[in-house]
Amino acid sequence: MNISPREAEEALATIQGMMQKTRRAISSSGAYIFLIIWGAIWLLGFLNSQFLPNQIAGNIWIGLDILGGILSVVFGVRMNRGVRSSSPVTSGKRIALFWLLLFLYCTASIGVAWPANGKQIAMFIVLFVMVGWNAMGLLLSFYAVWGGLALTALTLISYFLLPGVFYLLMAILGGGGMIVLGLYIRIRW
Amino acid sequence: MAELNKTIHEPVRLRIMAALVTLAPADEVEFTYLRDLLEVTDGNLGAHLRKLEEAGYIAVNKIFVERKPRTYVSATAEGRKIFHEHVAALESILKSK
Repeated sequence: MNISPREAEEALATIQGMMQKTRRAISSSGAYIFLIIWGAIWLLGFLNSQFLPNQIAGNIWIGLDILGGILSVVFGVRMNRGVRSSSPVTSGKRIALFWLLLFLYCTASIGVAWPANGKQIAMFIVLFVMVGWNAMGLLLSFYAVWGGLALTALTLISYFLLPGVFYLLMAILGGGGMIVLGLYIRIRW
Repeated sequence: MAELNKTIHEPVRLRIMAALVTLAPADEVEFTYLRDLLEVTDGNLGAHLRKLEEAGYIAVNKIFVERKPRTYVSATAEGRKIFHEHVAALESILKSK
């Protein structure tokens, strides 16, 4: 079988395009849902923290986190039904274990730093979530790392330089940013 | 030297193999998922999958999930090897230009 260099180039471009499309379809097939869910939770949670008394906002945060956890599990079970692995689900279990350990370390850190104010607790949670986000990005989809780093930088800038509007910035830029990124992935990928 | 493979070189089959080798070796993809990914019809995809299955490049696994039949497709070890050889052959043609 003989083909011209031009045909070879076209075939390689077709292959490269298809591989990229497949990688994106697999890695982003559910990511946008989680971004939108947790973006909405951040938006509502931090708006509550900005405008409501600490006690009420704290209770709302707990309710929102539980809701986010339930929705994440529901969508997590449903996602990627198109691709299945016949190998033991070792990597999936390790990822779940990683998030569990991260949650425990975050709780322990907040406990050690106690008594902490609302902003400090929010910072602890956000920074630990960002560590998890970047770790998942390095493992699954490198592009996600840039979003994680940008959100971390935003959080630190808001905390140290703009404490008066920290919650508001986290709500609009953090939560809103995650929603926009989720919608972008849904539409463009 | 790696050789071109006539079975794989057909455009739709080339895209099928490119999609399948992108998955981890133990992973398989559902027929409808693959159809949507490739943007082809059921009949077209089915015909090309048969060719690739006959050549031993892919494996077709028909199972029941919640009482509904589902067809999963994966690249075989032979299919992966042949595909990579085909890509190497394409690259060598380009290099010798």
